[in-house]
Amino acid sequence: MSENILVVGGGPAGLNAAVMLSELGVNVALVERDSFLGGNPKKFKYKFLFPDMQPADNVIGELIKKAEAGGGIKVYYSSEISDFKENGKKFDVTIKSADGSEKKTFDSVIVATGFEHFDPARDAKYSYQLFDDVIDIKDLERMMGENNFVRPSNGKPPKKVAFILCVGSRDRHVGNQYCSRVCCTVSVKQAIEMREHFPDCEAYIFYMDIRTYGFFEDLYWQAMEEHDVQIVKGRIAEITSGPDNTVICKGEDTLLRGPFEIPFDMVVLASGMEGGPQSPEISSKLGIELDEHGFLKPENITLSPFKSNKPGIFLAGACTGPKAISDSITEGAAAAMNAYTYAVKNR
Amino acid sequence: MALEKQEQRPAAEKGEHIIARHLIEDESIKEEKNLVIDGVDVSGRWNTFILSRVDSEFDRSFFREIKDTVVGSRINRCWQCGMCTASCTVTPLYRRFNPRAFIYMMQLGNLKELKKYIDVAWRCVGCYKCSQRCPKQVNPAEMMEALGLVIKKYFPEEVHSKLKADEDVKKIYDDMIIGHGRLDLAKLHTSAMQKTGRTKELLGKIERDAIFKMAKDGRAFSILRLGKPHNWSRSKVAIENYLKNLNTIENGEAGV
Ligand SMILES: Cc1cc2nc3c(=O)[nH]c(=O)nc-3n(C[C@H](O)[C@H](O)[C@H](O)COP(=O)(O)OP(=O)(O)OC[C@H]3O[C@@H](n4cnc5c(N)ncnc54)[C@H](O)[C@@H]3O)c2cc1C
Ligand code: SF4
Ligand code: SF4
Ligand code: SF4
Repeated sequence: MSENILVVGGGPAGLNAAVMLSELGVNVALVERDSFLGGNPKKFKYKFLFPDMQPADNVIGELIKKAEAGGGIKVYYSSEISDFKENGKKFDVTIKSADGSEKKTFDSVIVATGFEHFDPARDAKYSYQLFDDVIDIKDLERMMGENNFVRPSNGKPPKKVAFILCVGSRDRHVGNQYCSRVCCTVSVKQAIEMREHFPDCEAYIFYMDIRTYGFFEDLYWQAMEEHDVQIVKGRIAEITSGPDNTVICKGEDTLLRGPFEIPFDMVVLASGMEGGPQSPEISSKLGIELDEHGFLKPENITLSPFKSNKPGIFLAGACTGPKAISDSITEGAAAAMNAYTYAVKNR
Repeated sequence: MALEKQEQRPAAEKGEHIIARHLIEDESIKEEKNLVIDGVDVSGRWNTFILSRVDSEFDRSFFREIKDTVVGSRINRCWQCGMCTASCTVTPLYRRFNPRAFIYMMQLGNLKELKKYIDVAWRCVGCYKCSQRCPKQVNPAEMMEALGLVIKKYFPEEVHSKLKADEDVKKIYDDMIIGHGRLDLAKLHTSAMQKTGRTKELLGKIERDAIFKMAKDGRAFSILRLGKPHNWSRSKVAIENYLKNLNTIENGEAGV
């Protein structure tokens, strides 16, 4: 008889965990809250992925195809865990979906419930939702994904765009002290895409630090050297409305020592990643720990980042903190390996 | 020809052999009459030295001094993002007033640089917009108070000479407080207008309208009804004694 393993969340991390387990002959139940698989990249229609600008479909589409091919994976769409109980070393779980409730016993569990985008409306100084032409990186991903890169206010292509880094991250006022890791690279990537497809639109990036860590740095160099993206050092303190239907970024050029108020056609906020409401929910339902940043807490962040504090429950992807897709996929595989070992040992 | 030129130039001019001599201040040039280095006589032309013009030390003792004050205790948090300056009420009017830059100078103990800004350093109006924006909760508004303390301590003469007008205002304040136990806003306003040469405006329409409005809503009368605080003469003596001793207290502290 083969093992039964539950995977919660069908983003890049959960998908890869499920696919790897099914290749080992495990019966996988993949529970996804949304009516589709693919997580945030699918939901917001990411088109090209950093670091190498490959089409998101190459990665996400490929994983979804494998997960939906049948095999050992049963996907529960638009569903959730309604009841969760430990039963010795196993777990009794009720999965609730449109088709009703189903009670099952699992040998181990992988949590891959991912992240939520920070909602920039929570930080009033950026006037998100107040001005149509202030959008954020997830909105821009979607616009690019739908081939609809225009100013929301008038439907015309913008001529001058500002990217503002660290929105909702590294700020005591919004309560998020951590760095969201991907937003620098996403912004730089988007600036390149923009300059490639709309060469007469200027791109400025307002930064305090540009954290395109590791090989992501290549994109930063490219943005400047091949696409004339201009970087300006200083965090933006306020966005107001300007003349001729523009939005004004108010900041300080900290290298030149002096305040500026510069009008743009469009502003893109690099909003960060948060644990979202799902992290505390799943934490209390499964009895696993939450960290001080609002993400799920690994047992040992360096030695076993893919283990929860509870034996038999494993973690993968952005539910434990901001990270890129490749890291999420790697963790999916690591969690799969560990969940499988646990299940076999306790059969 | 060459001989002629030599006659025109004073022979013993300091640093006369330096090319582009005009770029270097006199104090930065060191020349000895006779100099022997490692047994080699380098008197004459080779004995001209230019003192380094780069900063050669960060003064952390100064940083610690600020950190120990109540208003400056969060100086170590600042990462120079510029959101304070960007939101500051004063910077657009006085571009040389730059809270972020001042905090950096204080972090590095760069008194030489701070000294250049004594005339504007006190311009903060205490609106706290910067503190509201600062992502690190440095509380830059209060750092500006720390800045004032620093400047007062390290550059007392410059403060005195550069901020003369404000000494006058201080005297008006002091006289009112000591004389009446509270500020007389009407009197303060009148003397400010007089001091800035706008006496004529006191009789203008704007002033008249304001007085009329205040009379109508009762504010003018409640001000007139205000007397001196209870037993003010005793408080007055105490304050005068305190002020008399203040000089010696301040001097004593500076000596520590
Ligand atoms: C704007 C933006 C652009 C990005 N672009 C790139 C890029 O180009 N390249 C790159 O490498 N990375 C990129 N990233 C990072 C990437 O999005 C994440 O690394 C990745 O999505 C994390 O995968 P995940 O599976 O852990 O989480 P998610 O993608 O968040 O997926 C989690 C899934 O779990 C489901 N779920 C949540 N709670 C429950 C629950 N209680 N029950 C059932 N299901 C649940 C959710 O519906 C979702 O489908 C970007 C991030 C942002 C913000
Ligand atoms: S990745 Fe860049 S934009 Fe995002 S929080 Fe970190 S420094 Fe700020
Ligand atoms: S806003 Fe705060 S952290 Fe940023 S420069 Fe000003 S004091 Fe420093
Ligand atoms: S409190 Fe002072 S430094 Fe801060 S914004 Fe207001 S005027 Fe500027």
